[in-house]
Amino acid sequence: MPNVLRADGITVKFGGVTAVNNVSLSLGSGEILGLIGPNGAGKTTLFNAVTGFAPMHSGRITLLDKDITTLPAFKRTRLGFGRTFQTERPFEELTVLENVLVAAFLTAGRRSEAERLAMGVLEQVGLADRAHQPALDLNLARRRRLELAKALAVKPKVIFLDEIMAGLNPPALREMIAFVRSLSAQGLAVLMVEHIMEAIIELSDHVIVLASGEKIAEGTPHQVTSDERVIEAYLGTD
Amino acid sequence: MAGLDILLQNVANGVLMGGVYALIGIGLTLVFGVMRTINFAHGDFVVLGMYSAVLFNALLGWDPYLSLLLAMPIGFFAGVVVERFILSRVVDAPPESALLATLGISLIIGNAILLTFGGEPRSVQVSYASSTFSIAGVNVSMVLLLAGIATVIMIAALYALLNRTEIGRAIRGTAENRLGAELVGIDTRRIHSIVFGLGVMLAVMAGVTLIPLLFATPTNTGAVFTLKAFVVTVLGGLGNVGAAIAGGILLGVVEVLGASYFMSEYREAYGLIAFLLILLFRPEGLFGRTVKRV
Amino acid sequence: MIKHLIGLGVLLAVGIAYPAIFPNNLTIAISVLLFAGWATSWDLLGGWNGQVSLGHASFVGLGAYFVAIGQSQFGLAPWWTMAMAAAFAAVLGYFWGQLTFSLRGPYFSLSTIAVAEILRLVAINEEWLTGGATGVFIATLPEPFGIDLFSRTAQFYMALAFAAMVIAIVIAISRGRFGYQLRAVREDEDSAMASGIDPTATKLKAFMLSAALTSIGGGIYGIVLAFIEPHVIFALLLSVQIALTAIIGGRGTIWGPAVGALVLVGAGEMFRTTFAEANMLIYGILILVVVLFLPRGIVGELARRHIRRLYAKRAQG
Repeated sequence: MPNVLRADGITVKFGGVTAVNNVSLSLGSGEILGLIGPNGAGKTTLFNAVTGFAPMHSGRITLLDKDITTLPAFKRTRLGFGRTFQTERPFEELTVLENVLVAAFLTAGRRSEAERLAMGVLEQVGLADRAHQPALDLNLARRRRLELAKALAVKPKVIFLDEIMAGLNPPALREMIAFVRSLSAQGLAVLMVEHIMEAIIELSDHVIVLASGEKIAEGTPHQVTSDERVIEAYLGTD
Repeated sequence: MAGLDILLQNVANGVLMGGVYALIGIGLTLVFGVMRTINFAHGDFVVLGMYSAVLFNALLGWDPYLSLLLAMPIGFFAGVVVERFILSRVVDAPPESALLATLGISLIIGNAILLTFGGEPRSVQVSYASSTFSIAGVNVSMVLLLAGIATVIMIAALYALLNRTEIGRAIRGTAENRLGAELVGIDTRRIHSIVFGLGVMLAVMAGVTLIPLLFATPTNTGAVFTLKAFVVTVLGGLGNVGAAIAGGILLGVVEVLGASYFMSEYREAYGLIAFLLILLFRPEGLFGRTVKRV
Repeated sequence: MIKHLIGLGVLLAVGIAYPAIFPNNLTIAISVLLFAGWATSWDLLGGWNGQVSLGHASFVGLGAYFVAIGQSQFGLAPWWTMAMAAAFAAVLGYFWGQLTFSLRGPYFSLSTIAVAEILRLVAINEEWLTGGATGVFIATLPEPFGIDLFSRTAQFYMALAFAAMVIAIVIAISRGRFGYQLRAVREDEDSAMASGIDPTATKLKAFMLSAALTSIGGGIYGIVLAFIEPHVIFALLLSVQIALTAIIGGRGTIWGPAVGALVLVGAGEMFRTTFAEANMLIYGILILVVVLFLPRGIVGELARRHIRRLYAKRAQG
């Protein structure tokens, strides 16, 4: 499978502390890569470094063989990154539709075109009937879907999902898992940080396990969940 | 040698003026340090202090320094009232709300003074207004020296309050971490009221000590003092009382030296330029960690 | 959208008829229109984009000085000098923004005061450029199509055209890509970046446009005053007035700043005999009312209640 995204030797330091140490990953289209690890393992930091929201100490990132290592986050978005935030960040003063319009205007030149794209995405995530509601009023599950809609409306090639399953009730969780699978079926490359093992095991083609900023295991969900170091890392933190 | 004499004289003037600036700046910095509120009305409270001296002088014939006995407690009380009824209600709103609220208070104070006293500049005549004496060939103005002494006393008192008393401990705790302070049983709302009261009291005091030196005018001077207080606190470090002294003296010296060696008409600008430069290039060092967060 | 265009039509219709109906109340109407235009321009940056500037008097002053000096020293007609002022204001806004947009929230506001004060000191002290503290006098003006630009009626129509133009620009922007970029950056810069928006470039564009539009109104103000003094036109209080007009009326709304101008200039006029020159007292009281009770301003609060009502109805039905 050709690589859509490659990240080599990513290292992130805050002051003297190394939060992520020399981690590499690659991702092909339609592939789902799961990123797991105990709290404080550096998952979100790695995620932010790859998407351009945290400064990197060293490493190299390519998107479709184009070097994007030094590009700011918004330029990475323009080249094909879509991301959600762990704590949802809707534009609270705007309606649901307007939230997605902001992202849709990235590729759509005209209002009517942007609106069509945004409504399409809202239908996809099941928020179309809420389009004119203020984003502030959405409940957690719907805020998550709005995050997804915003990430999808930039027409990404790679989508980064930061703990979008956390806190969902079982039916909502099932829906979200099915939805992520449908994204990969459409050819999107998916990188997800997740704590819900059920989702990771069900969805991931490939899993990377981080602990204390280091990659400690990598493989299929089955391989990593039976890896001794992984079990130790998880148990060790409890 | 003449050049050195002039330099010494200028530095002395700058340092003395800086003492007054420091006094203006401390109140603002104290309020910011504890409440994270930029008090736009600070300069207007300074002007209010000037007018209180004018009033007590006109009614009772008091010397400005005597009027401090009444003006300071009244200032403290006024500050507590303003905090209770206005600022406490915007403390958790976006930081701009507090800025806008204090901007409103500033306009109300300035224009209320204008309505009461009229627009003509006012002052208080004191016998020692223009007396000077010289130390080692450097002339020192009596008024500035008195203001400097007042500043030193006030800072010593404030230092003692913050470091030696129970309330001071609570104030420092609130400044450090409001939530944490509440968890250990500190009533941070009460602390906010007290701190704002102290801030206004310091502003009023600065105003009283300035009145033998400067004319009071209702609306413009307030904004000038507020700006000076900002400059002092940013130069020294907003939220850091000790550094406000350094900031005040730095501003005094920068202004006087800039005015005598470059272009005197830009005297006011030197402080502002220094303010901008520090705000832009050393925010973390002088603002602490706060600038990044907001 | 249609609503706003109708609103604009009403403004123009009333405006065109106004001088015939109230020929003796033109000066105050000019004030309302200039403040409406300035506050709406300010709001592009302060409301739609969330960057509260307390230095917009600089651009008013810039426009007024360009017109006055262009006329008195170079014989340049005001329309040329207004265009030049707008271009220069945009360039100034660009550098000003480059310098200060690394600061956020109240710190940005403070930095705008400092920059504006420095510019005021330049205007007062650089006599070769501005005539210094004594000011500049506009003695003659061209008469396009035989119109006397010193007449209050002509000045009224200029102010009307200015206010209507700025509001029309905001209406156009509000529904398009740029309008959403502005709001996204105001709400959350990181989230805006995740939508492919460059926050700094967006803020710079907003500042440049806001500055250019404000300076055009400043040029008209220069003609209205005919005599320009730096401490009047560059005053911190004028900057504060412009910002508060927009905030009291309703930040980030199309009609809020114009409503704010009507309310504040109107109230100032009503209390003129009571408060005399202390008319800024009203600004002080109203901004407290807004901060404490109507955080979205007059129009913003009305709009919010309207949306809530619509939404409640839909939820029931």
